[in-house]
Amino acid sequence: MDEASSRRLRALLDTILPASDDGRMPSAAELDFSAYLETQAADFQPVLADIMSRFEDGFAEQPLAARVERAREVASADSRAFNKLVFHIYDCYYQNPLVRGLIGTHPAPIFPTGNEIPAGDLTSLAAVQARGKGYRR
Amino acid sequence: MSEAPNNDPVDVLIIGAGASGAAIAWSLTETRMRILCLEQGDWMTPSRYPTTQVDYEAAQFGAFNVNPNVRGLDNDYPVNTADSPIDVLNYNAVGGSTIVYAAHFPRLHPSDFRVRSLDGVADDWPISYDDLDPFFAQNDRVMGVSGLAGDPMYPPKDPPLPPLPLGRVGEVVAGGFDKLGWHWWPSDAAILSQPYDGRDKCLNLNPCSSGCSQGAKASVDITYWPQAIRSGVELKTRCRVREITLDEDGMANGAIYYDAEGRECFQKAEVVIMACNGVGTPRILLNSTSSRFPDGLANRSGLVGRNLMFHPVAYIRGIFEERLDTHRGPQGTCILSKEFYETDTSRGFVRGYDMQVVRGNAGPLVTALQGHHTGQIPWGPGHHEAFRQRFDHSASMVVMAEDLPEAHNRVTLDPELVDSNGIPAPKVSYTLSDNSRRILEHGLARGEEVMRAAGATEVEKTDLLRASGWHLLGTARMGDDPERSVVNSWGRAHDVRNLFVVDGSLFVTAGGVNPTSTIQALALYIGDRMKKNLANLFDD
Repeated sequence: MDEASSRRLRALLDTILPASDDGRMPSAAELDFSAYLETQAADFQPVLADIMSRFEDGFAEQPLAARVERAREVASADSRAFNKLVFHIYDCYYQNPLVRGLIGTHPAPIFPTGNEIPAGDLTSLAAVQARGKGYRR
Repeated sequence: MSEAPNNDPVDVLIIGAGASGAAIAWSLTETRMRILCLEQGDWMTPSRYPTTQVDYEAAQFGAFNVNPNVRGLDNDYPVNTADSPIDVLNYNAVGGSTIVYAAHFPRLHPSDFRVRSLDGVADDWPISYDDLDPFFAQNDRVMGVSGLAGDPMYPPKDPPLPPLPLGRVGEVVAGGFDKLGWHWWPSDAAILSQPYDGRDKCLNLNPCSSGCSQGAKASVDITYWPQAIRSGVELKTRCRVREITLDEDGMANGAIYYDAEGRECFQKAEVVIMACNGVGTPRILLNSTSSRFPDGLANRSGLVGRNLMFHPVAYIRGIFEERLDTHRGPQGTCILSKEFYETDTSRGFVRGYDMQVVRGNAGPLVTALQGHHTGQIPWGPGHHEAFRQRFDHSASMVVMAEDLPEAHNRVTLDPELVDSNGIPAPKVSYTLSDNSRRILEHGLARGEEVMRAAGATEVEKTDLLRASGWHLLGTARMGDDPERSVVNSWGRAHDVRNLFVVDGSLFVTAGGVNPTSTIQALALYIGDRMKKNLANLFDD
């Protein structure tokens, strides 16, 4: 991918998932989307290339609001392809250890340590039982 | 036709290695008969399940997608669902759909076997809850079922293991049921809450629907099959059956199948047992035509493939200010309510529904994608705030309606679509009935009440999930009347006295609960009846 194409892709990633207003959550452009594509979504690359061809050279230089508008137009023209793009951007983003840590989940698979969850309070079941038999024969 | 390298005649040929095929294979081992099972899928490798991978969530949209048309693996067959608002979901492997099910494990209720007598609709089953009760218990022990005794909505039963933890989400929604004075109970689940029978307990991971690396979820490849194989049952994988064959006396004498290399083979057998569930079984029977059965094997009644029942599902999600850790815990239902299970005609419909609180399948990717598709979590500016409000702050509930049998809801053979061996694919024609629609409407309204009572600040509702065709029932129904049923009260075809059906096709009515427990109890019941009648198995 040449420099101009890379810049447009980074701009699109930053349009789909910009950094949060408080700066806590990173933009999707800050993650290594290219590595994700190579290792986990190689067959998506031709679709991505087709999507990217619909964004003009000046797309990366536009302000966020204009980029959002342009992305919406592309999404309307081919929602199936655009939904696949969103899927892969989200997949890359939400399996990133940094992102997972920031949203309060384990940064890596937790097999075989597992999750602790509370047993829960069963005392109110006494009232459920007190209503008596609820099945018919 | 070439013959398989090892196709000596067998006493019993079982088609399908899923929930019911495994159970009856295990049940029949004590007969010392030679038993062979043909399965179109492969053995799974639990260490390779997505639970251990960073992209575990994405796997359920690809190789572990529960829709065979999306998954499209070589072991799968396509299903034409263009004439159905509900997609067929399944998995083809040793273990069948138990590989990807949530392992929610309720039994049918006593009234489910008597809907004609009690409510004047559909038909009664030729057997009762009490007939199946010992086999429910036997199955619970083999699978390893966790649950809590004492539910007043059932006759007494005693799950072998204590219930799975409710988690915060279960506790909060239970509080909503309590405020309304409605029934709730911890769900029975075929997931281990404690180490049991050489398997370790659940780690509270997510989601169960892409396989359980821990082995805590009871898929039959790790419960029934190892025991059955140790007892001498032979299981051949990558063998896809095309048709059941007949001898000159009209008795089944084996099956034609394609092996892993695509060779057409023949397996001779004294008894044939169909265990391919409510779409796969009628597909093979309808494809087994002959001069004796031009409309499909054992189909003199014309009912093979008819009366297909799903469990139509509606979906409710409540958004809470409190963090509920919804993505943690086994995916299967943590609590359920039977408040509206039994018939009350003042509600505007007959029969009823189950309310199931689910969890474990709301990880970050699924949350973001669901939000994208519903418009609740946009891409672009605003994504992070909307995601923060929903991720781990939601509680989900499904309303599972009892579907009544209707002859026009059916499985036929598609005239054009075929699988990779050229076998005609099944075509599903299904219309949601007015009664089922009214049940879902009632359930959605009651579900919102529960969520609001539990403290939800926002409630989202989906009236009918397309991706909900897990439960494939009724297409070779049991009964005493050969004009109104395909098999008798112990699964033997009325028309072919050495052909048996043991899967969800048998169901006369669907009940309103997940059927695997009942399917397996039926298979064990039929196995028991076969053993007791071995000397005169084929007599009238």
